[in-house]
Formats: sequence, C-alpha cells, structure tokens
Amino acid sequence: MLHDLLFRLRSLLRHPAAENELDDELRFHVEQQTDKYVKSGMSEAEARRRVRLEFGGLDQVKNECREARGVSLVETLVQDLHYSARTLLNSPAFTACAVLTLALGIGANTAIFSVVNRVLLNPLPYPHAEELLAARQNEALPNLKDMQRQTNSFASSGGINISPMDFTGNGEPVRVHGAYVDGGLFATLGVQPMLGRWISAAEDVKGGPPNVVLSYPFWRDFMGADPHVLGKAIRLSDNSFTVIGVMPRNFTLPRELADVFVSLWTGYPEAAPERGVHFMHTYWRLKPGATLAQAQAEIAQADRQLSEAFPDTERERGTVLMPLHEFLVGNVRPALLVLFGAVGLVLLIACANFAMLLMARAVTRQRELMIRASLGARNSRLIRQRLTESTLLALVGGAAGLVAAKAGTMLLLALKPEELRRLDAIPMDARVFAFVFAISLLTGLLFGLMPAWSASRGDMAEALRENARTTATGVGRSPLRSFLVTAELALALILLAGAGLLIKGFLHLRSVDPGFNPANVITMYLQLPGTRYPKIPMQTNFRQELLGRINAFPGVEAAMITDLPLAGNYVAHRVVIDGQAPPAAGAEPMVQVLSVMGKYFGVMQIPLRAGRDFGAMDREGQPRVAIVNETLARQLLPGQNPIGSRINWARADDPNDWMTIVGVAADVKHSGLNQPVDPALYTPFSQNNEAWRKWMTLVIRTRVPEAGLVEDVKKQVWKLDSQIPVSEIQTMDDLLAVSVAEQRFNMLLLGSFAALAVALAGVGIYGMVAYRVNQRTHEIGVYMALGAQHRDVLQFVMRDGVKLGMLGIVLGLAGALALTRMMVSLLFEVKPTDPATLIGVALLLAAVALLACYIPARRALSIHPMTALRRE
Amino acid sequence: MPSRSIDLPQGTLDLLILRTLSLEPLHGWAVSERIQQISSDVLRVQQGSLYPALHRLERRGWIKARWGTSENNRKAKFYELTKAGRRQLEIEQDAWRKLTAAVSQILETA
Repeated sequence: MLHDLLFRLRSLLRHPAAENELDDELRFHVEQQTDKYVKSGMSEAEARRRVRLEFGGLDQVKNECREARGVSLVETLVQDLHYSARTLLNSPAFTACAVLTLALGIGANTAIFSVVNRVLLNPLPYPHAEELLAARQNEALPNLKDMQRQTNSFASSGGINISPMDFTGNGEPVRVHGAYVDGGLFATLGVQPMLGRWISAAEDVKGGPPNVVLSYPFWRDFMGADPHVLGKAIRLSDNSFTVIGVMPRNFTLPRELADVFVSLWTGYPEAAPERGVHFMHTYWRLKPGATLAQAQAEIAQADRQLSEAFPDTERERGTVLMPLHEFLVGNVRPALLVLFGAVGLVLLIACANFAMLLMARAVTRQRELMIRASLGARNSRLIRQRLTESTLLALVGGAAGLVAAKAGTMLLLALKPEELRRLDAIPMDARVFAFVFAISLLTGLLFGLMPAWSASRGDMAEALRENARTTATGVGRSPLRSFLVTAELALALILLAGAGLLIKGFLHLRSVDPGFNPANVITMYLQLPGTRYPKIPMQTNFRQELLGRINAFPGVEAAMITDLPLAGNYVAHRVVIDGQAPPAAGAEPMVQVLSVMGKYFGVMQIPLRAGRDFGAMDREGQPRVAIVNETLARQLLPGQNPIGSRINWARADDPNDWMTIVGVAADVKHSGLNQPVDPALYTPFSQNNEAWRKWMTLVIRTRVPEAGLVEDVKKQVWKLDSQIPVSEIQTMDDLLAVSVAEQRFNMLLLGSFAALAVALAGVGIYGMVAYRVNQRTHEIGVYMALGAQHRDVLQFVMRDGVKLGMLGIVLGLAGALALTRMMVSLLFEVKPTDPATLIGVALLLAAVALLACYIPARRALSIHPMTALRRE
Repeated sequence: MPSRSIDLPQGTLDLLILRTLSLEPLHGWAVSERIQQISSDVLRVQQGSLYPALHRLERRGWIKARWGTSENNRKAKFYELTKAGRRQLEIEQDAWRKLTAAVSQILETA
C-alpha cells in the first residue's frame, strides 16, 4: 500500500520526466519491431504501417499506461482543467455568457447571504448571549428595581434610556446620545470597559456622584483618544461629569446608540423615582440553568404585585420576555427570509440557463466529442471532462459573483433600509466564502452533470445523423431542455408575483395621505438645558424670540412642535373628559400630547376641520385651550360637539383647570403611514405647565428650497444661546421617505430579483427557440419551398416555446398561490392572492415569453429556401 | 502466421511477463519477442496491452524498471523481477497449474 502511494506520488512529481520516459519506451519498441520486419524482407514503409496497426492507438496505449501507473486521478484532473481552460478561452462569447449568468445568480445570492449572515446568523457580541433576554415593554426604574427584588431566575438585569445631551466646551455645541442607565446594565451585557471601570451599584443611587463612561467613538473624536482621560471632567447638558471609564471599540448596545453613559439618577434625577414613566429598555440575564418559562412566570407574578400596589400607574402590566436575539431580529427575519428565498429562485433560473448553455455548446462540439470518442476516449472520461469544464466555469462565475456581491452589499447599504441602518458594513467572513464556494461547486457539478449525462446517453449515431441534417422529427427537442424552460418560467412567475404584490402594497402605502404637506419643509431639533431654563417663562421667552426672528426672514414661515409626525416619538398622557363618568384610575384613555407654537397647522398645511387655531390670546394665565384631532373627537367625544368640550389630564394637580377644545385638526399619520391614527391632543407651548417639556422641533416652510437657511437659523439660535446644539436637520420629505424605507427596500430588492429572473427566463426561452430555428433551417427551407406561409413557419418554430412558456406560467401561478402567503407580514393592504396582481404578472410574463419566442422565430422567415436546401 | 497464433486468455499476461522476467531483465519489446519465441509463435502479445501491464506490475512493486543499453546499443527500459515479484510468480504459477490440471481433468473425464 505504502509502495503504491509513494509510487503514485513519485509519478506525479516526476510527471514531465515520466511522460518522456513513456515516449522513449514506446518509441524504442516501435523501432525494434520495425527493424525486425525490415530484416525479414519488408519495405521500410510497409513495416511501419504494420507496426502501427499492431500497436493500435499510440495515444490510447499511453493513456492506459498512465492509468496503470495510477496517477490518472489527479493527473487527468490537471489535464482536464488545462484542456477546459483552453477550450473555454477559445470560445470567449460562450464563456462570458456562462460566467455572467452565474455571476449574477451567485452574486445576488451572496449579497443577500452576507446580510442574512450578519443579521440573523451572527451571534450577539456578548458573552453567553443565549442567556440574555429583553422585555418587550419599556419600564420605569422603580418598577425595574422591584422586579429585580421579586425574582430569582436572573443573574442580573438592567435598563437604559437614550436621551439627547448637549456636550459643550469643545467649540460648537454638539448634541450627543446620552444613555441613562442603571448600574445593572453592564453586568447584564457582560462587557468590561477598555479603560477604567463601570458605574457601581453604590454610585447608582439618588445623589450619587456624577460619573460618566464614554463610548469609544466619543473618546476618539472628542477626547482625542486621550489615554489619561480618566478623572477628567466634561460638561454634559450644563452639568459637570467625571470620566471613569471608556468602553471598548467593538462594543455596541443591543439596539441603542449611545455616546456617553451616566446613571439615570445623575443624568435625569426628576425621572428616576417616577413609576409612571416607562421609558427604559430593559435587558435580563438568566442564571445558568434557569429557563425562559420560569423567568416569565416570575415576571408575571411581579407584574401582579406591582399592579396591586400601584393601580394608578401600573394597572395594565403585562411584561413579556423574549430571547434577546429573537427580539432583535424577529422583525427583520420574515423579510430577509423572503428575500433569501427569492434570490435562491433567481439562482435556480440562472443555473437552468447555464445548463442550457452547456447543452447548446455540447451540440456545437458534437463533432469534436465524436472524434475524441472514436479515438478511444471513454464515456466516463468525456463526462468527467465536461464536468470539469462546467465546474471550472461555475467557480469562475462564483469568483465573479463574489465581486458582484461586494458591490451588491454596498448598494444595499446605500439604500439604507431601517433594519440595516445600524450596520456600517456588511463584512464577508469565512462563512460567506464557504457559502459561495459551496454553491458554485454544487452549481457546476449538478447543472453540468445534467446536460453531460443527457448528451452521453445520446447515441453517437444519432448525433451523426443530426450533424448530417437528415432531420428526423424530435431532433433538438430534448426533454431536459423543455423541463428547464418550463421551470424557469414558473420560477420567474413566482418572483414576479412576489414583486408585484410588494409594489402594489408600496403604492398603497405611498398613496396614504400623511395628513400634512411635506414639500419644502425643513425641520430641526433643539433642546433647552434644564440648568439655564428651569422655569417655564424662560423657556417661553426663548421660543417666542427664536420664532419671531426666523419668521422675520423673507419668504419663510416657521412654527414649532414637540415631536414631529413620522419621527417616531411622542408623549402620551391619560385624559379625562368633563361630563363623562371618570373611568377607574389607570384605565383612562391614552392620547398623544403635542405642544405647538406659532401657526403649526398653517405651516404644515394640516386643515382645521372645525373651530380655530391657537392665537396670541392663548397665553399663560388665560383659560387653557386645546385642539384635538378627528380621531380623538370621534373616539372620545362621540355624538358631542368637540368645540367647547373640556378635557384634562387624568389625576391632574388641579382637576378643575380644564382645557377647552377650540379646534379640530385633520388626522395626521404620526406613527407611520401603515399605522392607525391615535387620538392626539395639541396644546400651546405658551400655556405649558410641564417644565420638563424642554425640547422642540422647528418646522420651517420656505417658498423655494433655500440653501443658506439652515445656517441662518443656527446663527439666530446661537445669538440667543451659544450653548444649544441644533440637530436632526432634515426635510419632511426625508422623514416621509425614511418612514417607508423598509417597504421601499423590500420592494426594490424583490423587484430587481424579479426583473433579473424575467430577463434570465426570457433569455432561456429565446435560446431554446433560436436553437430550434438553427437546427431546422433545412426543414424550414423545405416547408417554404413547398409553399408554407409566414404564419405556418412562425407557428412551426414557436410552437414548442409558446407551449412550454404557457405551461410554466400556469405552474408558476400555482406556485405563487402557495408561496406568496409567506409574505403576508410584508404587505400593506394587499392580499397575498390579489387576483389583479397575479393576472397582471402572468400577462406580463406571457408577453415577455412571446417576444422571446418571436424574435428568434422571425429569423426563420428570412431563410431562403434555396440557401437552406443547398446547405444539405 | 497470424492464423496459427491465439490471443492470450484473460489474466495470463501478468503471469507470462513475470515468468519471462524471472530468467533475466528484459525490455518491453524483448518480453513480447521472448513470449512469442518460447511459445513457438503460438502466443502473441497484443502490443497495446503489454505496456499497460508492465506499468501496472511496476506499480504493484513486483517488477522494477531501470534504463540500460540494448543489444544494438540503444537506450532502453529494462524490467527485472523484485523479491515480491518472485513470491507473486510462485503464487500465480501454483494457481495456474491447479487451474489447468482441473480443466484438463474435466476435459478428459467428462
């Protein structure tokens, strides 16, 4: 055995020498034999001929010797590769077509797989991430502390809220993402700071020391990556904080972005003791061995205790815990899986085309193959040779696909879908490379084997006949090709149906009236630091002064509101209505509360359905007024004239200080175009009685888009207060676009996959008909000579293509009906079986298929009978 | 001449090669000549199958090859039997004798 192996290895290593030796050896034999015959009286020429006859094919003998030496496996592979590379380079058009087809299919798959890999498959960047849970509901700090005390299943838990903070003392004031946390958060996530330490439990108390932990980007960008930063003081929202730690570079929060971390007690002491303010995301780490079910049961018990103890604020509790990974990717998964499935279908279509290309090539190379076969090449060797060729093509296609995928992922990121917003890059790791290699290899072997096998089965005599153009019926009509074309069209139809549904849903979504006119509106976010604007009159002064200055710009109309529609934020309050029996405490209706100043409804062009807008008379000290949206009027004031009705906060400090409703505004899609409108209550900033409502968003309508406006506004802000950052500068059009970005992303992606699929399927059917025309030139010529009309000829060559196309479309419709159900969560107001869409895409694909049949078929008409006959 | 000769039965070529080489190292052409001579021209070796057989035996380690000079002073590849080859020859001769004895017994008695 060892001898055998060494021998094979030596033969392989000494390959050129061994080849020479074999030549020498055989030549010696031939010469000896020739000499012998010459000596026995034959002529030299006769002797040579005789030796050759005796010997049989010299190449064949050499081959058998090589095989006998046992190097054949590797050696023939090398030979086959060499041969394949040469023949492929000799037919660059074929090679380019095949590589391009596969590069598209594999590239699209790899791009989507990279995303799936990054988003769905990669583990979370925390130790023992499988122990981490997230609560679906936000939580208040005191509740979190109570729940921690009342449960045993958790090793630790923590909460975090992201709020803007002003970082000053370093040039222009900057708004940064502040994280208000409790001390348990980082023990829960299990990540150690790179420098210094985390906020300890002892510090995380009322009146604790103002310490701050920095994120790596903040430390690098604003602290100059100072290694001696610990102990230094920085100013955040007008308070001084001492740096005690810096997080490592690769640290990320599960779903939040934060630049600085402070304890809730030091960053926002007003909110820390409030039970009713549910604004922290909470994360929980299970003790080893504890189960989710146990934990959930304990949490439910804690919820019950809390709602009994604090019915006013905690009546409706129902905390649901879920594995953190599931929590983070749960929303994205359906879309990604649908896209991954779709792109898989694209690959199948590309593969079918690839197989058909190989088959067509096999026919054109029939003569070559026949010659090789008659020279003694064995069938298995021929199949192996062709498999080598298809696999080589597939691997090259895969490599090209990798390049395409890299470009594809950059394109994906450029589209900036919501679910990928936090990804700054989609890396290609070993898993992605393994994926590409595997699908390329599989494609080459599987789809190369199909035609290779079907060709080798075909009898050579038949091939000879075909080459001789003695056309028998059925020649060129291969069952494999028919199957591939039908399958391609069916798959393309499924993709087209999916894309059609998404497009229809997206159009529905875009046609939803947001309730305001987004054109030419620029928005900016400001927040007044609590230290310098602690009292409401100071805040009101700033707001009025700023609005007055901006409104003095020519051609500009400005107003402000706490939270913009579609920006994802609002404050909610429970309310009671004068004259209605008050519901139980904690069960009062919840409404969105939005404070405005200036002609907000005018600037946003939100129509007032009844009553009046706020005016100069609605100031502090005057009777309090409010404007409600139509949904509030309909839901909370049914059968009642909303104008003049009175409304107040539930359990208000002064229950008799009613707000009188003076107007009804049209509904605005505040939470998203695909979300229902909630009841909303607008109050004037000038009658604000909540000093914590320190933030505002400017909305500025310009007659024409103005480049310098933003800078002019910033200047006015900083003339009033040089320490206030101006951030989130965006147009309402941008906000609208972002709000439908996810749907747009899914639609664009599936749409382009469908387009690719249709194009590939079109090429497939085109190829089939073109091949048929080519194979039957002679026959068509005879037909025409016998007086066949154009219509007959077209029918003759198109018949198969059209039949298969229609069959594919019918099968595809059945497939679409079965598969589009999986998309239901991605569709907006469209049923997955929407008949109009399905019929529409079927007609579209039928038209494409007909066209793809017609173009090559038309060529048949230009065949001149005489020319065709002469080709015989 | 060809009418007198018969093709080698399957599987006997290896035996004949080993036997031929057991007397002295020979090159391929000489092997085929020798087989033909000794068998009085009855057995003819297909040139096409001789060389693959030689290479196969070499790979199995029963014969080994070296380059030498032929009787007419030309470079030729000589094969000689190895120890393993000798053992194999014994085995195959034994098997062959048993086979032929059994076959002739059947031919004579049946």
